[in-house]
Amino acid sequence: MTIETQTQNMSVNNFEQCLKCSICTVYCPVSAVTPLYPGPKQAGPDGERYRLKNKAFFDEALKMCLNCKRCEVACPNDVHIGDIIQAARIKYSTHRPSLRDMMLANTDLVGTMASPFAPIANPVLKLKPMKAVLHGVMGIDKHRTFPDYSSRKFESWFKKEAAPKQSQYSKHVSYFHGCYVNYNYPQLGKDFVKVMNAVGYGVHLLEKEKCCGVALIANGMPKQAKRQGEVNMTSMRKAVAQGHAVLTTSSTCTFTMRDEYDHLLGIDNHDVRDSISLATRFLLQLIEKGEIKLAFREDYHKRVAYHSACHMERMGWVPYSTRLLRMIPGIDFVMLESQCCGISGTYGFKKENYERSQAIGKGLFDQIDEANPDCVATDCETCKWQIEMSTGTPVMNPISIIAEALDVEATRELNK
Amino acid sequence: MKGEWSAMRFDIVIIGGGLSGLTAGIALAEAGKDVALVSAGQSTLHFMGGSLDLLGSDERGNDLFKPLDAIAKLNEKHPYKKLEDVSRLAGVAKQILERAGLATTGYATANHWRITPIGALMPTWLTLEGMAAIDDPDKMPWRKVALVNIVNYLDFPTKFLAAGMRERGVEVDVKAVILPEFQQLRQSPTEMRSTNIAKVIEQNDLLVKFADQVNSVVGEGYDMVLLPSVLGISSNEKAMQLLRLINVPASYVDTLPPSVPGVRMQSQLRRRFMALGGSFFTGDQVIEGIYDGNNLKGVKTAKLDGTVLEADNFVLATGSFVSRGLVADYNHVYEPALGVDVDDLGLDRKTWATVDVTEAQPYMEMGVATDHKLHCKRSGNVMSNLYAAGSVLSGHNSIKLLDGAGVDMLTALQVTENILNQ
Repeated sequence: MTIETQTQNMSVNNFEQCLKCSICTVYCPVSAVTPLYPGPKQAGPDGERYRLKNKAFFDEALKMCLNCKRCEVACPNDVHIGDIIQAARIKYSTHRPSLRDMMLANTDLVGTMASPFAPIANPVLKLKPMKAVLHGVMGIDKHRTFPDYSSRKFESWFKKEAAPKQSQYSKHVSYFHGCYVNYNYPQLGKDFVKVMNAVGYGVHLLEKEKCCGVALIANGMPKQAKRQGEVNMTSMRKAVAQGHAVLTTSSTCTFTMRDEYDHLLGIDNHDVRDSISLATRFLLQLIEKGEIKLAFREDYHKRVAYHSACHMERMGWVPYSTRLLRMIPGIDFVMLESQCCGISGTYGFKKENYERSQAIGKGLFDQIDEANPDCVATDCETCKWQIEMSTGTPVMNPISIIAEALDVEATRELNK
Repeated sequence: MKGEWSAMRFDIVIIGGGLSGLTAGIALAEAGKDVALVSAGQSTLHFMGGSLDLLGSDERGNDLFKPLDAIAKLNEKHPYKKLEDVSRLAGVAKQILERAGLATTGYATANHWRITPIGALMPTWLTLEGMAAIDDPDKMPWRKVALVNIVNYLDFPTKFLAAGMRERGVEVDVKAVILPEFQQLRQSPTEMRSTNIAKVIEQNDLLVKFADQVNSVVGEGYDMVLLPSVLGISSNEKAMQLLRLINVPASYVDTLPPSVPGVRMQSQLRRRFMALGGSFFTGDQVIEGIYDGNNLKGVKTAKLDGTVLEADNFVLATGSFVSRGLVADYNHVYEPALGVDVDDLGLDRKTWATVDVTEAQPYMEMGVATDHKLHCKRSGNVMSNLYAAGSVLSGHNSIKLLDGAGVDMLTALQVTENILNQ
């Protein structure tokens, strides 16, 4: 009999590589503010050893994990601690999502219902009695205000105003706009189209777009998330077959579709993953290759503080957005020290999480107050809600800042 | 989309975000260079405690009082032999720390002694302000010490600490303080760690309450209060404030990891690097070099798919085995990021280690091969623009010689000068 030696680590999520060094516990934003959460080491690789023996060791406190992945960024041994925790929740949790969780998670459905009634829904959702009902009956914290719903969805605007003009360009990309652009803030999508058109790219929507599913995963609905993910993958495959890159303006949607689909939902995305990119990254790479040029308005001035959203940090893509912003001559750029803002999508909307969410973000809010910028730039829409609510400072996506600072005519000329 | 890669250009790309990489990054950025630093996870600074060693011990294990004299007698393989002027670079290192907000006591001319978490005294070079430091281990500066712990905090082994000091003729009383806020932490025993205690004290502004507790349990008759270093995670200000609130002279002693002073060093050095305009690529890993003969043109990373980081010069400061700067498999030891040459001990694995774990382990001296200017080598050829610094270098055993931080910082500063004087 020959003895075989295992020469390579082959555990799921690099689980066996954990040295028990505890560095992850230093960077967990949740355990820093509450002792009720066992922390990434215990919730992740340590707990997993027990769970593998007996599922009774699963602890529902794992739902306190923000899935920010800052433990993974800190880990010197590339253990996918956050994935271990989320996978355990999917596998072992017996907690059934409440009506509130289902509503928060179904951004698509709720957006579709709310948009036609936006003129009524927006003010009503801001009324104190309504907030009291949401807080008391639904468990949505009274301090929170739902982001406004737009009365005209981005898709409707695009189909009527932009789509007919896109065939005039010689190069093309597809745009995964996400729920936020579609239902809440179509302006970001319009800004994206403006910038891409100026550098000579036509923009197209995917044949079918569903919510990326990040909120479904977080709220315990992985099966629905998987179904929606498969729809997105099918549409993206068609776009990629036409030679399109699939661009987004949300770091979290991007991260979910590139990494969580495969790691958590078991969706095979290997053939499209490399084509999914954030718009800032796509633009910066083209600029660095000398394929496009941007020209900016001379009269543009703004003090911008950049906040590194957690999933942006996890993707390692922060330098793409910051280098792009720093190309704008009129920008006075401040880099904020990277820390979680505390909202984590739908997490901070739940009344049981509100205080924790604000405590987590406090360090960041203090930094922003001290930097005193005209606006905060970040690639994540839920960070935007949290920072605007907590600091009063307006928050813009880098693409909107580029669009605002861009000299469109001069840029068009440069890219003819 | 696929096909051609884009490039981000810098003057210098540093691989590794620990003490060595950050020292080089700060020194080069202070000289006006555009520096990028790629860091795969957090560094061993988190285990380092509040002191930096230059050279604490000779080959036979004897404590050294005058490290500079002993450096002159080191064998030729030691990285210090590639430094132009150890004494001057040691001064520069101290200033680099100072400008990053890390004030230290100590000089390269004479070692002082730090207290380890298990009560041993070890010779060291620089100690962060506020941490206990002893000039001469044979003349303990205190007659009667109150060793104060927090109830239920397990990473501060007071019995060992007290025994260590009693052996040296110091009278020691162990005391403990209780605060309700810490009792709450105790609900999750795995989380009652130094860094979380520090966050609880700083977030809830418990300084005065904590100091009152210490003062009431200590009482009179002591000439020193020693506390676990569980304060000052983001800056040293609060840690120093607490010491001033205590009626008796007080200092901190290192705890078991994670180390609050170590985390602070990491974050303040990083903050300094960023403030100088450095670019930090967090949680990413260099996976391949792009070469043009003996010139490194660029590096690819795991996360920046489609983008190469290009630079005039590169510094490899990825650390030793524990940081994955060196990797051992069953047959050989290799450098995984760029595949540069390693000074190894041959294929006979039995020669890599000795059976007695307390003996010097030969594998500790394996590391990246460099020429006299700290250039790396590839297949025996000296690379013109790729340097190595810190624990990734071959030729020394930092556990036996107590020279880890010194090698990290001084080789980084020498590489900086070699690059600037090219």
